[in-house]
Amino acid sequence: MKKVLVADDRATGRELVRTVLENSGYEVFEATNGLEAVNQAHELSPDLIILDIHMPGLDGFGVIEQLRSEEHFAATPIIALTASAMMGDRERAMAAGFTGYVTKPIGLNALRAEVARLLR
Amino acid sequence: MPDERFRQLLEAAPDAILQVDEEGRIILMNRVTEEMFGYAREELLGQPVEVLIPEELRKAHVGHRAHYRTRPSTRAMGTGLTLQGLRKDGSRFPVEISLSPGSSQEGFHATAIVRDITERKLADDRFRAAQEQYTQKLAETNRELELRSREIERADRLKSEFLASMSHELRTPLHTIIGFSELLGEELEGPLNEKQKRFVQHIHNDSMHLLDLINDILDLSKIESGRLELRPEPFDLTAVVTESIASVRALAEAKSIALETLLDVPMAIEADRLRVKQVLVNLLSNAVKFTPEGGRVRVEAGIRGTFVALCVADTGVGISSEEHASIFEKFYQVGATTQGVREGTGLGLAITKRLVEQHGGSIHVESERNRGSRFTFTIPLQK
Repeated sequence: MKKVLVADDRATGRELVRTVLENSGYEVFEATNGLEAVNQAHELSPDLIILDIHMPGLDGFGVIEQLRSEEHFAATPIIALTASAMMGDRERAMAAGFTGYVTKPIGLNALRAEVARLLR
Repeated sequence: MPDERFRQLLEAAPDAILQVDEEGRIILMNRVTEEMFGYAREELLGQPVEVLIPEELRKAHVGHRAHYRTRPSTRAMGTGLTLQGLRKDGSRFPVEISLSPGSSQEGFHATAIVRDITERKLADDRFRAAQEQYTQKLAETNRELELRSREIERADRLKSEFLASMSHELRTPLHTIIGFSELLGEELEGPLNEKQKRFVQHIHNDSMHLLDLINDILDLSKIESGRLELRPEPFDLTAVVTESIASVRALAEAKSIALETLLDVPMAIEADRLRVKQVLVNLLSNAVKFTPEGGRVRVEAGIRGTFVALCVADTGVGISSEEHASIFEKFYQVGATTQGVREGTGLGLAITKRLVEQHGGSIHVESERNRGSRFTFTIPLQK
């Protein structure tokens, strides 16, 4: 079973993604902040990571900077999840090393498709 | 001239008038001279004129007098300088003096007409002070204005930041409301009865409506504060028309509305592709919304001078002519939409109009009640 790590500081956000992905047959792990996400990633070596950009403390950009600097996570698909709708945010995320970009509110099918595409 | 009349003339002058001989001795003076300098006539007659001049200037004055003797003419004395008279009591006062040469049996003499300009200087000084005060005040006002404009800039920036973060904060909970209602509606967690299904659908629809509102308000406030930056790029308009039609196709098919296009030529324009598409999609979804089952919606495009004109025409409910101007206003809605269509935000046309205008184009509507509508907008071919 493929492992997916979901980092979001809001519990409802985590539960939504967890439910959708578990229904699709993935094993889902949760992190409640950026630091936890980095630690969990080291511990679990997930096949895919979904990072909320906007987290207190170490945010999504901080997490990806940390992970991408390590050989082990150089190729791990990482999706940015954000409620921001500003122009240029997507470009910024892709430049930072994200492989996918999903805006909140997510369409469930869009999320399923993006995860499936990256884990194919 | 008889002596008496000459005397009267001399005394009628408001200025001090005195005459000095070749050696600079005072030989004639009027009464004003006495009053002005505080001397009695007999104290001055025969005295060198220098007694009426501040001590430190007397020596130089003797020189000036000699010089005047060699080049006599009628002129003002000490042009551009502030001349001063000296009273008997030692006090000084500003004067203006005009000189004229003359001669008689006794030889050369000079006439000096002396005007006390204390009052005028005072007025001058007051005027200058007022002027200075005014200049200062002006500078102060300028500083204040500058400060104010910086404050406005700052407030504007804060407003934008506030809008950005508000949009973010509102979307975050909306994200889970929409997500969970969608999840419930999928019934993967267990079947819902008809009523439950409908309720969940209501939650989902209204959440989506709220999302539309947030997006539109953010868009509109960006446009209105001049912060919406267009990103012009060359592209083929035909492709954008095709994409826009694709995005309303499902909605149109659900109501059996035929979608047609009539495009003259391939049209290469330079504009913000995303925004032009937003305009077109907005007009198309309005057209589909307000057209009853079995109707037609059509996109026409053609070149008009240096503009490309795009027209979205429908066979829908139409808009009465009294409403033509109002429909581009914020939150104006033309009555109820047809069944099964997501409610609008009332901001679509306001945003559309501003987007078109920011591109340098214009938009207008031709419509009558129950006769369908034609919205036409133009975009410059080349910016």
